[in-house]
Amino acid sequence: MRLNLGAKFTLTVLIILAGTMAANTLYFLDTSARFHEQQLVERGRALGRLISLVSPDAILGFDFLLLNDYTREVSSQQDVVYGVIVSPQGVPISSYINHSDPLIKKRLESVNSNDIPKLLLRLDSQDDLIQLEFPITQNDALLGRFLVGISRQSLQSEFRRQLMIQILVMIAIVLFLGTAIHVAFRFNVLFPIQKLIAASRDVGRGQYTLVEVKSADEMGLLTRAFNAMTEEVRQEQAKLHRQANFDTLTGLPNRMMALDRINLEISRARRFDQRFAVLFIDLDNFKNVNDSLGHAVGDELLVATGTRVQAILRDSDTVARLGGDEFLVLAPDVADEVQVEEIAERLKKAISEPHDLNGRKVVAHCSIGIALYPDNGQSVETLMANADNAMYQAKGTAQGSAIFFTEEMNTRLHERMQMEQDLNLAIEAGQLALHFQPIFDSSGQHHRGAEVLLRWHHPERGAISPAVFIPLAEATGQIVGIGDWVLEQACRSWSAWHKEGISPGFLAINISRIQFRRRFSKRLAELMSIYGIPPGALELEITESVLLDDHHQVAEELSSLRAAGLTLSLDDFGTGYSSLSYLKRFRFDVLKIDRSFVAGLPNNPDDVLLVKAILAMAKGLDLRVVAEGVENHDQLSFLAAQGCDLVQGYLLARPMKEEDYLSRLKNLQAGVEPLRLSASRNQRTNSTSL
Amino acid sequence: MEIRSIRDWNRKWRRIAPLLWLIATAAAAPVIQAAEDPLIMGVFPRLNASETTKRYAPLAKLLGERLGRKVTLVTSKDFPSFWNGIDEQRYEIVLYNQYHYIRSAKNYQVIGHNKEFGKSTIAGVLYVRKDSGITDLTQLRGRTVLFGGGEDAMIGYIAPFYMLLQAGLKKEDFISQFAVNPLNSVIGVYRRQADAAGSGDMVVGQPAMAKAVNFDELTALAVSEQLLHLPWAVRRTMPAQLRESIRSILTDFENSADGKEVLKAAVLTGIGRADDKDYEPHRRMVRAVLGPTLAPR
Repeated sequence: MRLNLGAKFTLTVLIILAGTMAANTLYFLDTSARFHEQQLVERGRALGRLISLVSPDAILGFDFLLLNDYTREVSSQQDVVYGVIVSPQGVPISSYINHSDPLIKKRLESVNSNDIPKLLLRLDSQDDLIQLEFPITQNDALLGRFLVGISRQSLQSEFRRQLMIQILVMIAIVLFLGTAIHVAFRFNVLFPIQKLIAASRDVGRGQYTLVEVKSADEMGLLTRAFNAMTEEVRQEQAKLHRQANFDTLTGLPNRMMALDRINLEISRARRFDQRFAVLFIDLDNFKNVNDSLGHAVGDELLVATGTRVQAILRDSDTVARLGGDEFLVLAPDVADEVQVEEIAERLKKAISEPHDLNGRKVVAHCSIGIALYPDNGQSVETLMANADNAMYQAKGTAQGSAIFFTEEMNTRLHERMQMEQDLNLAIEAGQLALHFQPIFDSSGQHHRGAEVLLRWHHPERGAISPAVFIPLAEATGQIVGIGDWVLEQACRSWSAWHKEGISPGFLAINISRIQFRRRFSKRLAELMSIYGIPPGALELEITESVLLDDHHQVAEELSSLRAAGLTLSLDDFGTGYSSLSYLKRFRFDVLKIDRSFVAGLPNNPDDVLLVKAILAMAKGLDLRVVAEGVENHDQLSFLAAQGCDLVQGYLLARPMKEEDYLSRLKNLQAGVEPLRLSASRNQRTNSTSL
Repeated sequence: MEIRSIRDWNRKWRRIAPLLWLIATAAAAPVIQAAEDPLIMGVFPRLNASETTKRYAPLAKLLGERLGRKVTLVTSKDFPSFWNGIDEQRYEIVLYNQYHYIRSAKNYQVIGHNKEFGKSTIAGVLYVRKDSGITDLTQLRGRTVLFGGGEDAMIGYIAPFYMLLQAGLKKEDFISQFAVNPLNSVIGVYRRQADAAGSGDMVVGQPAMAKAVNFDELTALAVSEQLLHLPWAVRRTMPAQLRESIRSILTDFENSADGKEVLKAAVLTGIGRADDKDYEPHRRMVRAVLGPTLAPR
């Protein structure tokens, strides 16, 4: 049985009350019984003393009638069952027996009423009888004894009556107090608690009802505290709602809210047979702004962008920030693509207006992907995916473009996904292979090492360009496994060659920024230990993109690598934003001049000037310089003349399979293969390295 | 002269008139005193004074009314003082026991007797417990006999004692003890305080006895001859006319309503006529028990 609080409290009080009163009643009755028994005994003693006092003359005068009068008078007192005067020999000489007394009645069934001694004997063992005996003397001579029996039955009857009265009184008091306590408890405690429970349930349902405070006692304090808590929860809930649905930086609806709005819009559009557009906006090169101007400026740009976008939209439109530099615009009830295109144009124009951020003029462009309901999807997920896909496609085109989603985009996306799947299997299927492109000194006569290049031979699509699958691997994170595989294969090859007594020089291995984030130095040290690779045998080519990440971590990682004796090479030098600052901030051993600068040598004055400057700076910083993409003698001569340390390119050697490179090394070591300089731009392949 | 002689006669009359009045008064004084003095009625103190007054005052009053002379009831605190009154003849009318009459017969003359419970006579009885095994008076030899009253008790002592004597026992052959009255002596035997009780046949049927004694457990060992009940006597010096008037009134109570009332109050069924010869059996017994002096030994 489940008792509520009021019943429990009332029951507890009643039990305590009943127990206390019962104990009190029993104590009272016990005391009363003792008192009454004492009274009975005292009465018996008084009667006995009286008889003892008046009887001697009657006994001596054989005045039995008078004795009978005495005993009758004495024994007719209330509660006296019998009064008997016996001779010293114990023979009754006067007696009075109360024949109406139940005790006597019961015994007279088996005892002759005149057989007083037997009757007294029977009564002797009676618990509810007080039996007293008094000597009757004169001048110290015993004349007889007076025996008196006093019944406790009236006492017990009175005890029962009192007990009954006490119980009734107790029940009445308990009922009265119980009712009073219950009512008081109900009004003062239960009702307020029930109100609090109801209010709590309201809070659970999101209704923040305040409870009226009616008293200043603990219950009032509890109600106040509850109200304060409710208000706190309400505010917190509102805050959570805002945090869950709005972007804290821009104050715009976030992805959650955007999805919700699109959902609602789908319902509305379906009902009214309307179209609406979802526009995905992504700021181009926003990371550069963050990196170069700081995150505060980047945040300002995002806020300003949000404000501008909001400003040019209709009230019915929704603009949301999906995260990072991605925004979404929901344009309901659009007539056709033209109208949407106009909106996109207005967006592009508004976003690309220069921003004055922290005293700097910043121009941001954006890419916009557009999906239309119901043409490009009838669910939130489809519309979002398609708009995203379209935006992704827009990223690949000219800056600041807006592209409507097409089914072809999905096809491309599917292809990309298929490639991603294939790439997962490529290592195990042995489809990946290392190629090596030798690196020579600037005379082109002495072999110094090779750059390790990754090749993927797809069983169906043939050779796939690293320019295609490396970005995909970086985007999907597969580059970590692939890069590790490359490192291990390179170490194994170098070790194998070395064990064959061949001096392979160094191996330059390209490291992705993704790899760099994963405690790369530790893994490399492990591999070098396994394969016994000396520190100078490996050169790590790092692009500027690596350095864009967390400076502290990058610096630590580079320090670890340098401490391990590895050579660090800054790849594609000159193509980034702040190459010089990187050189200042991080310690490199080698600069690798991008092929785009080498290509114009020696005729393009800009390239000449730039390469000269790089070489001069490298000398100043005590860095070696490797020029890649050397494809003709003029370039080689120029570089040699300018003091470039190392060169690589088709002029000297094309990338080759491992066995070819091994053979080449053997020949070079044996001096049987002369340097063959071959220049042919047409034979150049994309040598995007890993 | 005639006038003077009348004056002289008046003068003489005035002188002798007081003298004549004194002579007349002196002559009439005993008659007047006799007519006004109440008759004193004494009742022996077998009951306390209060109970005695309660029982006999109505009788005295009615007797006085019918007699035309006030009758005053006098109670005594005890037998000695009562007997003193008998000796000094302070009572004109007296109710006492048979022994008292025998002893005071010189000065008092019996005129009537009590009828109690419809009986004019009473007998002395010796009671024993049935379970005592005593069936003959001689078996009381060496036993205790509880007599109902003192040695002056006619029914409680003299009559039972007389029977013992008749059975050949002497006073020293048994132990004599005395209860305050015949009723108590029977109760004493019933309560095993004595072997035999000297009492009368009137105890059977007494309301007080019915509660105190179960007579089924007792038996009458010996019963005396029937003796006339308590006597009413008058002083022998009382004029015969007055004596007979009193006798007549007393014996006539049972014939009138108011007489029955006073008899009922006195717990009597009537008062019968009695003469001295009616108490001859009593006298015989008393002499046998107490000797020729008739005085307790």
